[in-house]
Amino acid sequence: MSHNIFKKALANPLSKAGFIIIVMVFLLAMLAPVISPYDPDEINVKAILLGPSWQHWMGTDGLGRDVLSRMLFGGRISLLVGLVAVGISTAIGILLGAIAGYYRGWVDTLIMRLVDVMLSIPSFFLILAVIAFLTPSIVNVMIVIGLTSWMGVTRLVRAEFLSLSGREFVMASRTLGAKDARLIFTHLLPNSLTPIIVSSVLGIAGAVLMESGLSFLGLGVQAPQASWGNILTDGKDYIQFAWWLSLFPGLAILITVLGYNLLGEGLRDALDPRSSSNK
Amino acid sequence: MKNLAFLNNKILKGNAKAANVFLLLTLLTACDHPAQNLSQEVLSNLDKSYPSQAGGTLIDAMIGEPSGLISMIAGESASSAISSNIFNRLLKYDKNLDLEGELAESWQISADQKTITFKLKPNLKWSDDMPLTSADILWTWHAVIDEKTRSPYASDYQLVKKTEAPDPLTFSVTYEQAYAPALDSWAGLQILPKHLLEGQDLHTTAFARNPVGSNYYKLDSWTHGENLKLSRNPTSVLGQAKIDNLVTRIIPDSSAQFLELMADNIDSMALDPIKYARIIPARPELKQKLALYKELGNSYTYMGFNLKHKPFDDARVRRAINYAIDKQEIIDGVYLGLGINIASPYKPGTRWSNPDLKPYPYDPARAKALLQEAGFIDSDGDGVLERDGKPFSFEIITNQNKEREKSAVLIQRRLKEVGIDVKIRAIEWASFISRFIKTGDFDVVVLGWSLGLDPDQYNIWHSSQQAPGQFNFIGYNNPTIDKLLEQGRLELNPDKRMKIYHEFARVLLDDSPIVYLSAGYGLTAIHKRVKGIDNPAPPAGIGWNSYDWYIPEPLRRSEAGRNEIAEN
Repeated sequence: MSHNIFKKALANPLSKAGFIIIVMVFLLAMLAPVISPYDPDEINVKAILLGPSWQHWMGTDGLGRDVLSRMLFGGRISLLVGLVAVGISTAIGILLGAIAGYYRGWVDTLIMRLVDVMLSIPSFFLILAVIAFLTPSIVNVMIVIGLTSWMGVTRLVRAEFLSLSGREFVMASRTLGAKDARLIFTHLLPNSLTPIIVSSVLGIAGAVLMESGLSFLGLGVQAPQASWGNILTDGKDYIQFAWWLSLFPGLAILITVLGYNLLGEGLRDALDPRSSSNK
Repeated sequence: MKNLAFLNNKILKGNAKAANVFLLLTLLTACDHPAQNLSQEVLSNLDKSYPSQAGGTLIDAMIGEPSGLISMIAGESASSAISSNIFNRLLKYDKNLDLEGELAESWQISADQKTITFKLKPNLKWSDDMPLTSADILWTWHAVIDEKTRSPYASDYQLVKKTEAPDPLTFSVTYEQAYAPALDSWAGLQILPKHLLEGQDLHTTAFARNPVGSNYYKLDSWTHGENLKLSRNPTSVLGQAKIDNLVTRIIPDSSAQFLELMADNIDSMALDPIKYARIIPARPELKQKLALYKELGNSYTYMGFNLKHKPFDDARVRRAINYAIDKQEIIDGVYLGLGINIASPYKPGTRWSNPDLKPYPYDPARAKALLQEAGFIDSDGDGVLERDGKPFSFEIITNQNKEREKSAVLIQRRLKEVGIDVKIRAIEWASFISRFIKTGDFDVVVLGWSLGLDPDQYNIWHSSQQAPGQFNFIGYNNPTIDKLLEQGRLELNPDKRMKIYHEFARVLLDDSPIVYLSAGYGLTAIHKRVKGIDNPAPPAGIGWNSYDWYIPEPLRRSEAGRNEIAEN
């Protein structure tokens, strides 16, 4: 089933573009050690703030490091944070959503009120507040983003479970004496997978953006490790003069987030029977 | 007076950026202010000479907002930058750094060198028209040494045995022993009005935000997070300043400040080396309207070890790290050559700076040998040294100051080469001080000292100055240094005193409780509309005669035009 959805989504040129962007970004990040022209941490105090040239395609930063190489390695961080954070939030979301949707009753009420409480706090400020009490590091950033963005998935999974539990195949299996775990893992969950994937893809875009924002504020990935967010911070001070320090990481964030959003939207449209009817 | 220095620049200021959060906000407010681009006509007349003229408004900017305007409590440069325009001291330094009277008309030192008698100028007044008398000075002294005040400067005044104010114009202090930094200390203490502060808690009083002083300016308004507006004090005890109004805008981000400087919305700001040496010289339209000033400040940047933490209690380890760091690389790469490699904690070229001392050379081989001697060996071959099974790894913390962050990155790379694993963390100024410095919860810190003119550095290095909030937060405890500092305070013969401080610097260098990174230049840009500034800077710095700076009428901002644009 999900295979079909992807096929359908990729028929849409916009989501196809999104898919290609993501694949490209992944390839560039994976191949960073091979294709980077310089060591991203190699300091050259004789080449500070040089503009783009044949030696340095994206110029150099305030310590003479090659921006292109830092961008490539920074891409790995962004993708890693995106995937791990969304992995954490999806796992929590599935667990809580499944419990709420399957068992209902007071457990459901409790979990859904917790979701409401979490959603009532603006997530960026929540994350800022939590990070302020921890040592800023890439691991903490991934965990905190993951722990503060599971609410959407929870709601989604719960809704899917609620609607699926009334369906005949679930009833049948229950009547045949299937245990809770079997029902959840072999019947309910596999059938809820597609919407979860869609929301995860969109979630990655949010996590990438969040990581860049935190690193920009100095609360995310710490120097000298490169991330798009902290390259952008360096660029901010010389924005009128060393435009390459702001433009390239800014574009990278924009394109990556756009890629995930296009793909995510495409998947959603492909899933939604109402929108597919006009095809 | 000594301050924890945020930046090496002359116009010292607050933290770099809690601030980033507000970047967007600041940029937006920047748009709110009408661009006050001066007309081409004004720009082309900037270099003409004009007669001195009273009036006008000077706008400058600072990064961090002062915590209050009672500087003996704040102990920070942002506070004293403003309060020094409002309060007077008994004495001050002139252009050539000789002492002269400010509130005092004259002073006499007794034959045994233990008593100083100050005669005040007649008819001194506070800006609320109350008389300023020796009782105010007496009260201020009591306040600074009071334990409840917890002033970091208290130790400068604790050797006073007796103070007297026999009549309104006479104030005398008697020391237990002749005290060399005595006159300097009275040139640092800002005198507060007894009639408004008596019986109040200086830490909580509203006076800190609404002060009444006696100097050239008085505070008109303080809009939290936006600006402080000062206007000329008509009853100033020192005569009248030329410029009518001083406005200090709080712009917590140096790039936003620079945008405002380019748009003629502020008249001066402290520059970082890249703006000073690379950006402004490359832009003719900026060169045309901004005058750049460079002065070797009495300040330096250093890397300090927490001596209470292992392995920094071992001098061999500290020396090894000193050898492993290439200071010239930091000066060239971070300060673009605008810094000096120093070997003593004094301004290079002054008599207190020991010319025989040489900075630790960059010598990684020696560093490795010393580390091995101290027991650090790379036993598992991962490139990081270990001792007793624990890898040699520590965290450098610094405030969010670009130059210091970059220095830390260069240090990190050099220490990696000798097998030390370093992490870096840049922290916003207020929590940097309260959570890490005051609690002593750090391994290694990159920070700066902004120093006074007297060579006495008792409150930085003496082992008695380690309480929270005091300046010996690295926990330095060396009986030899303690003794030299005590001797230095009591030695009145300048040559003998010089020898004491030369010896002090030698012991300090050998013991290496801190690694001197660079004595930096203060770099300032001031709009060419502002006239009367001494260039090149005299020993006291360009700010010594700021009361005589003036803005000629034709070069002033048009106040009417401003209102019209603002309405659109």
